[in-house]
Amino acid sequence: MPIHEKSLIRPENLKTHDKLVLDGIDVSGHWSTFIETRVVSDYNEALEEEISALPGGEYIHRCWQCGSCTNSCTVHAINPDFNPRFWIYLIRMGMESELLRDKDIIWQCVSCNKCTYACPRDVVPEGVMKATAHWLERKGHTPKSPSTHFDEVFTEQVIATGKIEESRTIRRFFKRTNQGLMQSWMVEMVKRMLRHLPIGLLSRMGLATFIAPRTSNWSSAASAIQEYIDEQHDKQDKALSLSELIDVAQKDAAA
Amino acid sequence: MSKPILIIGGGPAGLAAAHSLGTVGKQSILIEKEDRLGGAPILSGYAKLVPSGEWAKDAIGGMVKRVEDNENVRIETGAKVVSFNGEPGNFTAKLSNGNTVEAEAAILCSGFTHFDSVNKPEWGFGTYEDVVTTTQVEQMISSGQGVRCPSDSRKPKRVAILLCVGSRDRQIGREWCSKICCTVSSNLAMEIREELPDCHVYIYYMDIRTFGLYETKYYWRSQEEFKVKYIKARIAEVTSDGEKLIVKGEDTLVKRPITIPFDMVVHAIGMDPNVDNDEIANTFGIDLEQHGFIDVANRYGVMGATSRPGVYVAGAATGPETIDDSIAQGHAAAMAVLSGLKESAKSA
Repeated sequence: MPIHEKSLIRPENLKTHDKLVLDGIDVSGHWSTFIETRVVSDYNEALEEEISALPGGEYIHRCWQCGSCTNSCTVHAINPDFNPRFWIYLIRMGMESELLRDKDIIWQCVSCNKCTYACPRDVVPEGVMKATAHWLERKGHTPKSPSTHFDEVFTEQVIATGKIEESRTIRRFFKRTNQGLMQSWMVEMVKRMLRHLPIGLLSRMGLATFIAPRTSNWSSAASAIQEYIDEQHDKQDKALSLSELIDVAQKDAAA
Repeated sequence: MSKPILIIGGGPAGLAAAHSLGTVGKQSILIEKEDRLGGAPILSGYAKLVPSGEWAKDAIGGMVKRVEDNENVRIETGAKVVSFNGEPGNFTAKLSNGNTVEAEAAILCSGFTHFDSVNKPEWGFGTYEDVVTTTQVEQMISSGQGVRCPSDSRKPKRVAILLCVGSRDRQIGREWCSKICCTVSSNLAMEIREELPDCHVYIYYMDIRTFGLYETKYYWRSQEEFKVKYIKARIAEVTSDGEKLIVKGEDTLVKRPITIPFDMVVHAIGMDPNVDNDEIANTFGIDLEQHGFIDVANRYGVMGATSRPGVYVAGAATGPETIDDSIAQGHAAAMAVLSGLKESAKSA
């Protein structure tokens, strides 16, 4: 009989054994291929709460699975595996292992927000995608993405000086992401800047690159921002049970 | 001399009809086969009603009191009509308690019967104690006992509500949608989450039919405020591993089979035609529609007309109906009776 739902059988779930005898019957080789169970045997009820504790994920519980987000999705048009509706469902039901199968494409959301405007329940799927990508990083399922590194150097600089100095941001970003500074587009851009920008502006930019000026009376604002960020991170760590994980790891290390 | 109107059934529809007639000074006789008035909301011990949120014993209890206090209503409980003969304006009915009454018209407010979940044995009702019906959960709430697993009175950590039990199912000859179970279930889910905030509630559905304004008040609110989870799956079977109930089915949105443990499984039972409908149809000489509910002969001209002139019908006797619509139909049928009598007086 032909297998009609062949697409549901995942290659990694196909098991063949070179030598296997069960109850006296030889089941070795390709003719005795086994398929591992696809049965979902439980839900992880914490998953939805974890995602909704991260910025952007707050409204995930509203979803009723109409598919407007996926149908309007820019990335889905290019990659049919990119399916926000499906991931929202997996998160809501707590099918964590299923979600992790797609961990390497979830970050691909381009934040065009077409889904945000299409969603009849105001779930803000774009926010959910962002929260999910961050969740994957915070839980250690995926490495920090370049955009997370960029956000970090950007924020660090704002807190330190109250200002953004682009060349410093770029340099630190390249360093964190192990990229060389002398990239051809970069060299070309600097060359053209030298050629076309007025001397006064260039010299001020050059100076700022080295002395990093601070906004006056910045320190109290900086500490208020830092305090808020720490507070938010603590809250998120708790929601994601990260602090417990860290405790366990520290105890293991001490023992 | 004018004769009274016969009202069969003392539920929401019958109480409304009796009240309407009594208020305009028309005599009626209210026949109820059980020993007290109130119908399903009282006899089955419903908790808070949809959509008012009022307790059934207060809301419907108030209707009962109003009718009992009405001097134009004569109440006969513990009685059925065994024969019914005559013409509009001049019927004679014999009751099971031996009384004979004369009536100008009759309104059938005989309601429905809850689906008996034993007829879906694969879903474990009658086999496992912790498989219960929505009616039982209503009783747990209305009695003040709270939602507990019947087997050992523990607070459930996880509850599954299965929709369409005894509805939309050709296998058991019940092809109709019972109309209110989706709304009642989302209401119960919220009540459970309110009483037991640590208890997760999952609703397994084929479609969600929280019609009209119930969409936001029940379906959306249960998802958005109470975090009730809706899974599109028709459950194949409910079994037990000795400790927990095991619910098996297919999650159709992810095309994955599921085998999930639960503490309690609730059947959202549907509305069957009243078990006495064949007897009622014979006694009153009226037609039933294809599912076995009482057929409504005229949809646009006369409210609640049956196939027999002078015999009217209101409420869930005509098919699955909400409480407020049953009440509206009871009032409307009373109005139809009165205008019908005026018409025949004119033509006479």
